[in-house]
Amino acid sequence: MSRSGSKHTTTPADNYYLARRRTLQVVVSSLLTEAGFESAEKAAVETLTEMLQSYISEIGRSAKSYCEHTARTQPTLSDIVVTLVEMGFNVETLPAYAKRSQRMVITAPPVTNQPVTPKALTAGQNKPHPSHIPGYFPEFPDPHTYIKTPTYREPVSDYQVLREKAASQRRDVERALTRFMAKTGETQSLFKDDVSTFPLIAARPFTVPYLTALLPSELEMQQMEETDSSEQDDQTDTENLPLHISTDDSGPEKENASVLQQNTSLSGSRNGEENMIDNPYLRPVKKPKIRRKK
Amino acid sequence: MNRKKGDKGFESPRPYKLTHQVVCINNINFQRKSVVGYVELTIFPTVANLNRIKLNSKQCRIYRVRVNDLEAAFIYNDPTLEVCHHESKQRNLNYFSNAYAAAVSAVDPDAGNGELCIKVPSELWKHVDELKVLKVHINFSLDQPKGGLHFVVPNMEGSMAERGAHVFSCGYQNSTRFWFPCVDSYSELCTWKLEYTVDAAMVAVSNGDLVETVYTHDMRKKTFHYMLAIPTAASNISLAIGPFEILVDPYMHEVTHFCLPQLLPLLKHTTSYLHEVFEFYEEILTCRYPYSCFKTVFIDEAYVEVAAYASMSIFSTNLLHSAMIIDETPLTRRCLAQALAQQFFGCFISRMSWSDEWVLKGISGYIYGLWMKKTFGVNEYRHWIKQELDQIVAYELKTGGVLLHPIFGGGKEKDNPASHLHFSIKHPHTLSWEYYTMFQCKAHLVMRLIENRISMEFMLQVFNKLLSLASTASSQKFQSHMWSQMLVSTSGFLKSISNVSGKDIQPLIKQWVDQSGVVKFYGSFAFNRKRNVLELEIKQDYTSPGTQKYVGPLKVTVQELDGSFNHTLQIEENSLKHDIPCHSKSRRNKKKKIPLMNGEEVDMDLSAMDADSPLLWIRIDPDMSVLRKVEFEQSDFMWQYQLRYERDVVAQEEAILALEKFPTPASRLALTDILEQEQCFYRVRMLACFCLAKIANSMVSTWTGPPAMKSLFTRMFCCKTCPNIVKTNNFMNFQSYFLQKTMPVAMALLRDVHNLCPKEVLMFILDLIKYNDNRKNKFSDNYYRAELIDALANSVTPAVSVNNEVRTLDNLNPDVRLILEEITRFLNMEKLLPSYRHTITVSCLKAIRVLQKNGHVPSDPALFKSYAEYGHFVDVRIAALEAVVDYTKVDRSYEELQWLLTMVQNDPVPYIRHKILDMLTKNPPFTKNMESPLCNEALVDQLWKLMNSGTSHDWRLRCGAVDLYFTLFGLSRPSCLPLPELGLVLNLKEKKAVLNPTIIPESVANNQEPVNTTNNHGQPVVFQNTFSNSQEEEEIDMDTVHDSQAFIYHHLNMLERPSTPGKEQSSGEVTMHPVSAAPLSVFSKESNSSKHSDHHHHHHHEHKKKKKKHKHKHKHKHKHDSKEKEKEPFAFSNSPASARSIRSPSLSD
Repeated sequence: MSRSGSKHTTTPADNYYLARRRTLQVVVSSLLTEAGFESAEKAAVETLTEMLQSYISEIGRSAKSYCEHTARTQPTLSDIVVTLVEMGFNVETLPAYAKRSQRMVITAPPVTNQPVTPKALTAGQNKPHPSHIPGYFPEFPDPHTYIKTPTYREPVSDYQVLREKAASQRRDVERALTRFMAKTGETQSLFKDDVSTFPLIAARPFTVPYLTALLPSELEMQQMEETDSSEQDDQTDTENLPLHISTDDSGPEKENASVLQQNTSLSGSRNGEENMIDNPYLRPVKKPKIRRKK
Repeated sequence: MNRKKGDKGFESPRPYKLTHQVVCINNINFQRKSVVGYVELTIFPTVANLNRIKLNSKQCRIYRVRVNDLEAAFIYNDPTLEVCHHESKQRNLNYFSNAYAAAVSAVDPDAGNGELCIKVPSELWKHVDELKVLKVHINFSLDQPKGGLHFVVPNMEGSMAERGAHVFSCGYQNSTRFWFPCVDSYSELCTWKLEYTVDAAMVAVSNGDLVETVYTHDMRKKTFHYMLAIPTAASNISLAIGPFEILVDPYMHEVTHFCLPQLLPLLKHTTSYLHEVFEFYEEILTCRYPYSCFKTVFIDEAYVEVAAYASMSIFSTNLLHSAMIIDETPLTRRCLAQALAQQFFGCFISRMSWSDEWVLKGISGYIYGLWMKKTFGVNEYRHWIKQELDQIVAYELKTGGVLLHPIFGGGKEKDNPASHLHFSIKHPHTLSWEYYTMFQCKAHLVMRLIENRISMEFMLQVFNKLLSLASTASSQKFQSHMWSQMLVSTSGFLKSISNVSGKDIQPLIKQWVDQSGVVKFYGSFAFNRKRNVLELEIKQDYTSPGTQKYVGPLKVTVQELDGSFNHTLQIEENSLKHDIPCHSKSRRNKKKKIPLMNGEEVDMDLSAMDADSPLLWIRIDPDMSVLRKVEFEQSDFMWQYQLRYERDVVAQEEAILALEKFPTPASRLALTDILEQEQCFYRVRMLACFCLAKIANSMVSTWTGPPAMKSLFTRMFCCKTCPNIVKTNNFMNFQSYFLQKTMPVAMALLRDVHNLCPKEVLMFILDLIKYNDNRKNKFSDNYYRAELIDALANSVTPAVSVNNEVRTLDNLNPDVRLILEEITRFLNMEKLLPSYRHTITVSCLKAIRVLQKNGHVPSDPALFKSYAEYGHFVDVRIAALEAVVDYTKVDRSYEELQWLLTMVQNDPVPYIRHKILDMLTKNPPFTKNMESPLCNEALVDQLWKLMNSGTSHDWRLRCGAVDLYFTLFGLSRPSCLPLPELGLVLNLKEKKAVLNPTIIPESVANNQEPVNTTNNHGQPVVFQNTFSNSQEEEEIDMDTVHDSQAFIYHHLNMLERPSTPGKEQSSGEVTMHPVSAAPLSVFSKESNSSKHSDHHHHHHHEHKKKKKKHKHKHKHKHKHDSKEKEKEPFAFSNSPASARSIRSPSLSD
């Protein structure tokens, strides 16, 4: 029901669902009329519809199970009967009920045409199987998927043209871009009388000038990744992480001792045998000693 | 001045020994740029009656001084704040330089002086007499320091850490006194405890071991505790605080690198090489790195690219680079290696005095050279040595000499070692920066000469000995008298050399160290066929300034047909001709391989050579074992053979330079062959490009074929199938990369018969730009593109101008239009995709200036001024400023000159301030002998003020201002100043009259006999002047240079004017005060306790006074009263601590 608002954009499957539902509603309403109701609340009708739908669905589901149980794909009448019996419905009463006099006849909903699935594009004639391929094998695909049509052009000029094209394209893009930037922003000019022929984007000071000057641009970074993917820096990264933060929370005496030790055993650490790096800058910052005033 | 040459060891100029110092900085405020802290010095008196302690301190506001917890009185006097006190209209550089040297002396810690004088409380006198320890506790603060400590605070949102705000210590030589009170000498060593409390998001990096980091009680700040147990001079203490990213060196965990936020990937790459430098130095010195840790910090707005301090180095952040950058990589590695070399010699081993500085700079430069040789190869090393040699030779010939080991004898300065210079070389702080650079260059070259003499093995043994002595001494924790072993002196070094090698190198030292100047050889030869002897004539020029006579052995290498032979000639006083017997007979048709020096045998086409002579080429001093310039004459074919077949890159480069004078097809062929030879050293090939361009221009009328180098470039770098398109960039081969960069630049220098750049060449370069494609390249092409722009700029020739029409777009030359199109596009693209270090912007700005200068584009500094603003990358700013400087010169613009000088005073970046002065000095708007509308009194006043008081916070800047003043006005009174009315000036205090130095005619003075040469401490030399209009004895300054015409003109002028003092400007300007150091001398004269004050000083005064008494009668008497008043309150007026010192008891009681 939440979909009702967006009917315009519904899919065919939705449409069927809605149509079925509407039919069921009509059925429920007519049954109610038959039973003598003048009017009914919408919620009540909805509930009854829901019940009816569930019931019918259950019959269908159950019938399908029976038929599959007997290794068939299509349910037969007996499947339905068994189902109804199983659900506690007295089948005997059904013909009488169907033929009751005061029954209302509901016209069948208009059947819309099955939407046509567009045919796959076929180009040319599919090749028939040669004699050595049994007929149950799939057909050959369309010829255009495997047939090549060679075209001929000078390979030499090709490179030249490509370079030429790439160069002029890049130049055009750059010029257009810079001109646009110049048009939309502040400019400086080399000629006082003419500001448009050689517009220079105005120089703008940076707050942190070294960042743009030193860091490679994103474009360059990308390029670097493309040209060189086997960077080894990553290995050393993990080593540097302060893995040993948990180690020292001991008193200051111990700390000093470890510093001394570090000083004397520098040669040892240089061999890189220890995995843990003891660098004073990686050590945790200590809490201040609490001095009590008396 | 109490320095003696000998083995006496170190004698401290101070009456006490400093053993330990605590520096504690409690608070650093980035917003206000202020620092608050205290220092505590532990000192042991060495004399019984010590009652004053002199320390160095500048800029610091001192709140309180306590000695052993007792309040102590102190006075603060810094004569360098304002060098010439009395507003005299002297404006004479000679006068200034003398006064400045005296002022620096007066606070020189190496002479036992200091700005801060603390009186030991009388309660402690007894304590002192027992030579017991004193603890001097000084509370100080620093507000908006202008030098010594540099704050970088980007103006943006966020906390200081988020903004990347940082602060670091900086300065030239011993500049630590700018940020805390200390004994700012390289010779006073002590152990250190350093504490810095900083914001929790920041890191404080300093010397020694980081012992612990502790939060403050509010947990908002951290305190970094450093201990430096190795005795270290205060001048080697440094600090850097900022929100640094930390990288522990993956190879050496005791090495930590720091950089500013976001730059960590660059830092990783840049420092990944450092461990190899460590290994190299440790191996050659057979000595461990002396400190237990090492830190590198990369900061913005660096004072110098590399600054070495004890166990840490501060680098410019602009040295960082990514793996894509080729050109910066070797430069940065060189900086790292330099910094590390200075850790051993300069930081760990310090110097005894300024005159021993050359040993440290020499050794660190020398071992750095060894590293270069190992890392970049022998060719690069020899090329570098040649380059350094050429530089020092050019500088010495220009300025008159660089003296490595100045000895200042007592009083007698008639042989003043630096009389040719406009500054004193007595102190590092009075030196011109260029001189200092050249000094370092000469120092390492001399070390190399010593190595040549005693062998590298011995040399390294000497270094090892120095280092092991020092490390033994440094571990003597409580024996501070041993620490002087960590100081190197010239005599100690020489003694070590003679002990280790057993060789006498005294003549070498005398020649290159104790004496300034280089040798200038002129060589020519003739071949005597009859005797089969080469008659070599070697002349010397030893009369020009900056030269000296060389006597001793000189190696000459002669390449003959039968091989290469070395001959050692003895250069003596009078022998010019040297006969060298040849080994081979000349021969013609025998086809035989010719052996070269290195044993290689090659086939040569001998058809070019002289049929009678077996000589292929001759080289004088091939090993560069003399600091010399050689001008040697040999025929063009000999140079060509030398270029083709001599394997030494220095010889090849010499041959290339010589071939410029021989524009012949044979030279062309030799150069082209070298260019194509891939085994040849790339720098030689690059040099050959430029020579080829020059030769082609000289041969323009007979040149055949395509423009020089074009077909070569096409063959090397363009596509095989379409030769007009350059290959997509691949810079894997660095040699060809450098060649590819250089060739277009050289080609653009080609000119056709109309003296224009050939159209073909211009189109070629434009095509290179157009088809440049870097997408598949592993490396950045920013340097390559920048050089292509340089090439475009090189192709520009002066515009043909019809009766000075105004430059507009309409009359723009079509070629220039194309160039301008490219420059515009490049410059605009830089805004969107900036290149590394903005190399392209730099090149574009340079090119635009070239277009302006050549009259294609209207000359206008506005664009450059906008790029020169603070906030642009430093390289860009420098390039823009260079253009403005050039504009100032060409257009004689007073406005721009003012703009530049304002920037010198106000720019936040010290390097920029320094660089502007440097560029103005190198490309001055006018010089002393030039008439210029810019040269006026206001400018003189402004520059005078700048060097007198405006630059007291930065030694380098002040010396830069002195250099500029010298370039613009010379040593004497600037010619644009109006003549003073009075020819004679009376000085009542000194009781003498002098000819007003403002009108001193030097040229005449030079012709006269000196009568009194006792010139000391700023006293001008006294001469008898017969020219003076009043027929009196007068003092004339002779060190200045001036042409005699001006002198006569002045005198004529003077005679025409009324001699009565009718139009005096002010009272102050008339009275002269020749001794600027007088206030100081008064001070030291009256303080009879200080044993180490300079005695010459007032000796001299007294001497002078006696001399003057009999002259007294000649005086004009006027205007002397104001003078006396000015002298009295001499010191206190300048003192930041004056408020305090007035309350404190006077020291001179």
